[in-house]
Amino acid sequence: MKNKKLLAGPYLFWAVSFIIIPLLMIVYYGMTDSKGHFTWSNLAQITTPENLKALGLSILLSLVSTLFCLLLAYPLAMILSELSMNQTSFIVLIFILPMWMNFLLRTMAWQNLLEKNGVINIVLSFFHLPELTIINTPYAIVLGMVYNFLPFMVLPIYNVLVKIDKDVISAAADLGANYWQTFFYITLPLTVPGIISGITMVFVPSLTTFVISDLLGGSKILLIGNVIEQEFKQGSNWNVGSGLSLILMIFIIASMALINKYDKDGEGTAF
Amino acid sequence: MIKESLKKIYLFLIMVLLYAPILTLVVLSFNSSKSRSKWGHFTLDWYRALFQNQDIMNALYTTLIIALVSALIATLLGTAAALGIQGMRRRFRTLMMGITNIPMLNADIVTGISLMLLFIAFRFSLGFSTILLAHITFNIPYVILSVMPKLKQTNRSTYEAALDLGASPVYAFFKVVFPDIIPGVFSGFLLAFTMSLDDFVITHFTKGPGIDTLSTKIYSEVRKGIKPEMYALSTLLFLTVLVLLMLINMAPEKNAATSAKRISVSRGHKIRRFCLRKLTPAAIIIAIVIGGCYYGSKESGHSSNQVIVYNWGEYMDPDVLDMFEEETGIDVVYEEYETNEIMYPKVQSGAIAYDVVCPSDYMVQRMIESNLLAEIDFDNIPNLKNIGTTYMEQSRQFDPDNLYSVPYTWGTVGILYNKTMVDEPIDSWSVLWDEKYKDSILMQDSVRDAFGVTLKYLGYSLNSTDLDELEEAKNLLIEQKPLVQAYVVDQVRDKMIGNEAAIGVIYSGEAIYTQKENPNLEYVIPKEGSNVWIDSWVIPKNAKHKENAEAFINFLCRGDIAKMNFDYITYSTPNTAGRELIEDPDIRNSRIAFPDASELANCETFKFLGDENDALYNRLWREVKSK
Repeated sequence: MKNKKLLAGPYLFWAVSFIIIPLLMIVYYGMTDSKGHFTWSNLAQITTPENLKALGLSILLSLVSTLFCLLLAYPLAMILSELSMNQTSFIVLIFILPMWMNFLLRTMAWQNLLEKNGVINIVLSFFHLPELTIINTPYAIVLGMVYNFLPFMVLPIYNVLVKIDKDVISAAADLGANYWQTFFYITLPLTVPGIISGITMVFVPSLTTFVISDLLGGSKILLIGNVIEQEFKQGSNWNVGSGLSLILMIFIIASMALINKYDKDGEGTAF
Repeated sequence: MIKESLKKIYLFLIMVLLYAPILTLVVLSFNSSKSRSKWGHFTLDWYRALFQNQDIMNALYTTLIIALVSALIATLLGTAAALGIQGMRRRFRTLMMGITNIPMLNADIVTGISLMLLFIAFRFSLGFSTILLAHITFNIPYVILSVMPKLKQTNRSTYEAALDLGASPVYAFFKVVFPDIIPGVFSGFLLAFTMSLDDFVITHFTKGPGIDTLSTKIYSEVRKGIKPEMYALSTLLFLTVLVLLMLINMAPEKNAATSAKRISVSRGHKIRRFCLRKLTPAAIIIAIVIGGCYYGSKESGHSSNQVIVYNWGEYMDPDVLDMFEEETGIDVVYEEYETNEIMYPKVQSGAIAYDVVCPSDYMVQRMIESNLLAEIDFDNIPNLKNIGTTYMEQSRQFDPDNLYSVPYTWGTVGILYNKTMVDEPIDSWSVLWDEKYKDSILMQDSVRDAFGVTLKYLGYSLNSTDLDELEEAKNLLIEQKPLVQAYVVDQVRDKMIGNEAAIGVIYSGEAIYTQKENPNLEYVIPKEGSNVWIDSWVIPKNAKHKENAEAFINFLCRGDIAKMNFDYITYSTPNTAGRELIEDPDIRNSRIAFPDASELANCETFKFLGDENDALYNRLWREVKSK
């Protein structure tokens, strides 16, 4: 068993070179000013009202989209898991398939759909229904997040669901539990690991996105991802950008650690 | 029964959500109009154009090869790592899984930037290999996280039993453990491949000149609107994958029932299944790789006699580059950027030695002040005589002795409005604060442009550094925000063409194009004055091919070439010889392209205001945006 550990060697080397060292470079940039002197001021940037507001809004929007994803994905995963074995791999791939269309193009396509003179409004006006005016609002951003990250919620839940022993469900039914009791006392607790990794995989990219808020929010809504992106690109200020990234990273890791306490295995079950 | 149909309806609705945008893209690929928001008629032209477009095909193959190679390497490393981690003690295991989770949890932008910082610090030259390294890095966790759960399900006793029965560890692994985890390995590979294909942010930060994946190509096209060939390509890619999936899944599944009756499964059946499930996909993948190598070999014919050009997106007629290569024998390595601010750190860091770059006025000044530019040897640029003296004179505002820069294009910032959607003739910035046009105003999403417009409206200089003036401008911008439909840079064009908004702040160069597409649009330089800008060619100090760069600039200053570029990008040319060659007198004398001195009387050029003032502008702009 001893030499088995060595198999992780190349990865360990890789992880140190391309994960740990780059992170240390971010830490270095985040803790120094443009002349290389040590400073806390980059980290303190998060406390300005604008940045706090951006962070707050990011958290709010990503929580809402995570919730929507969960509510949409759970029934979906249940329906999928009940399908016969023959179709499942196909059905599951159907959810990965959209990712083969470029992310930027897909999100831009939503602009076409949602715009004032967009496809959806043309259809609505044909039926004399009121216009849908959510483009350039937080609603459109949430829609974009849900759309882009839904597969990341469906797949882990689905994977956990199909592993549940059908006998357990039957046993619950035999012992007199009705459908909902079985669901709340048996199915739901058993799928917690899947839910958690789903939440992680939706919450984090939603929290840090800048492309979705740019394209669907009309750049009127500033999220923390936009702030960081602007520090690097418009402001050319790598130090403040790194400092804010560092804060964001710590925030994410802390919140994930909190969530992962409920994941008893302590290890990802994403796929 | 009701429950079943409810389920079906639910599935259907989710499918609509997932596939509506994709359907939109497919429809757009058949749209004869170049604009995203206008339907022309049905056409297959973009599919034809696609296969002639060397750039897009190159980007496609780079994307596919990077996705394939990075997914393969990541699968190897990741599977090995998962096995190793499985054998570790709990504490190490938690630590390793913690490290593995970092790239998954980290924002893409942080991962991308951290890798870029690493590559620059260790003097890796950014290019194909750095993208590959980055992709492998973010792919490994997906593989590990796919393999680990499967590995946990395997029964360790079977492996030990195999060892007891005399199997070597390797043999036992492949006979006992591997078959159990292969679905995990496979889904890890697939996921890694997909992630690599879909990545934009990380690639964006780790790529070098002359190399593009589809994502970065699309992103650089956003400035001038996506080329419809892209829609065609996406449609084809999508269909290919769909067909592959169908093939794999239509083949009879080897499920429990059939394996029990395995004997009865006919031989022909087996062969058919093998062909469909394994052979066809493998053949397609091999075709992709060979095609990629073929394209790659065509491309790798670069000699050392080259010039590395770093230009704005869609800012030069591609034919001009071909002509230059043909006439001079110098290879052009061409890369594009979206904003001055993206270009600046790349040149400053020195990670890539660009030979010739095209920054705007204030950025030229900043680069001169940061000592990044080399003096141009004007003896090598005899065609400079074609550049109008007024423009050389204007350049002195940012290049006081005309030592570092050669003007390429120029223009103004003004208001583009839809004649059918406004009531009165527009001649003032005040219209941007008119309640009547609530939700019909498009504002520029860049600090200097937004503040420049507002400062001018208030009667101040657009280079103001006076805190009171800037505060006043900020408050006015905040006041304007509820009226603004969107802050945009490049999409003003498409949105105005598509009648999405009545009024937009736009660069004059875009106005000519939009008028061609939608004759209801009119451009005006407001009476309060505006920004007049010049984009100029400069040569960075660390350029390795300075003489080639000068030859390139000289070539661009030729009258016929300037005219070709003007026709293509529709931004005003400072090249008087080129202007004479424009056939259409309406455009040659267009007041949009070539406004006369009286209209420019109140206009100013942006100056670099120093790092501190830049930070001040950025802070105030953020206050506007976060309101």
